[in-house]
Amino acid sequence: MPQPLADTLTHLRVGNQTFLINFYQDHRDDFAEWTRQRHQLDRAAAHELLRSILVEFYNQVADGRLTKLPPDLRAHLYGMADQLPQAAATTALPAAEARRRRHLLGLFGQLSPDCQQVLMFFYFRGYNFKKLAGKMGFANATVGRLQKSSCLRRLYELHLRSEE
Amino acid sequence: MDLRPYLDELERFADGQLSEAEQEAFELRLAQDEKLSAAYEEYEQFTADLRWVAGHETLRHRLRNLDKRLDERQAALANMQTRTAAPRIRWGLLAAGVAFILSLGLWLLLRPHPLSADEAWTRYYVPEPGLTDVAAQATKSPLLIDAMRQYRAGHYPAALHSLRRVSAATVADDTLLYYTGVVLLRHAEAGAARNYLTRASEQPTSALAGKARYHLAMAQWRTGQLPQARTNLQAVAADPQNPYQLHAQQVLRAKVLLPRD
Repeated sequence: MPQPLADTLTHLRVGNQTFLINFYQDHRDDFAEWTRQRHQLDRAAAHELLRSILVEFYNQVADGRLTKLPPDLRAHLYGMADQLPQAAATTALPAAEARRRRHLLGLFGQLSPDCQQVLMFFYFRGYNFKKLAGKMGFANATVGRLQKSSCLRRLYELHLRSEE
Repeated sequence: MDLRPYLDELERFADGQLSEAEQEAFELRLAQDEKLSAAYEEYEQFTADLRWVAGHETLRHRLRNLDKRLDERQAALANMQTRTAAPRIRWGLLAAGVAFILSLGLWLLLRPHPLSADEAWTRYYVPEPGLTDVAAQATKSPLLIDAMRQYRAGHYPAALHSLRRVSAATVADDTLLYYTGVVLLRHAEAGAARNYLTRASEQPTSALAGKARYHLAMAQWRTGQLPQARTNLQAVAADPQNPYQLHAQQVLRAKVLLPRD
């Protein structure tokens, strides 16, 4: 069921990303055509740009930097194509916080795909250990808990090493 | 600060893995132990950042997977369109080929094809109608009257038989020569007809000379003497008095007397 536009920000803030997924599905080809005319981007590059824009928009909402839905969301999002990457909105966050998050994002990318998935399920989707085990194909919830703990430790060790 | 000495305990506390008693005890220690409290704060900040990273990465992965699925769907659709278009094109080409072959066959069947020499001669030759009974009776020769009747009835051997028995004393030479030639020509003896018709056409005072020239030309055409036939027909075509003038012009216009390859 489509979400009313007014609820969109609320849904995004609590981690429901469906609105952005649907937006990408509905506007991917249109955006590619728009950027081809405006920025002479090929299709693959245009798709990647739209994905970056949507992730950035999500960050702005999740961080609380965007508190009001723009009246013309399509125009707003397409307009971001002219500003990225210069205006990666983390610049609007306190510099230390923005730096810390970007740094952790880089470290997260160094984890194995399984570890990334486990941490995403637990810390973003909010799955309990039983569901996490089911999704990841682990034997039981305890294995799920141990795996998640091990992945968190690995990430923290990467963090410590990077600060040395 | 290095969280590792506290990590296990902090994690179990944050994840709700402690029993009620353990939790109360941990909360008490948090309030009293500054190092533990600082570790907890740092742990909370670390996991808050991790939540941001996880949300960011989840959306990025979902969008990337969706992109891949949409690409695959578009490729499958394009393939399907190509596959459905291919038989249509094949059938279209086949239908066009069949239509072409049918049209070609129809054209070959119905096209105006050049007449053979026999067909052309039969088409253009205008036979002598022969004397009517009234006109024949004026000659007062019963044999000529009979010959003309047989000729008009298409009995050419009988007509010839009667004609050959007509006395030269009762019928003029040019008449006998002319009709003998004409009957022979109708009887498919063009070679023999030529002799009679030549002589008939060479009678300077005969009223039949012009007509004889036409039939002579046709006899020459029939026997393959095309240049002679053309010359005689040109003479007939140029003679306004000749009753065969128009027919001769028609043959010349059709260019059927030109030598064939």
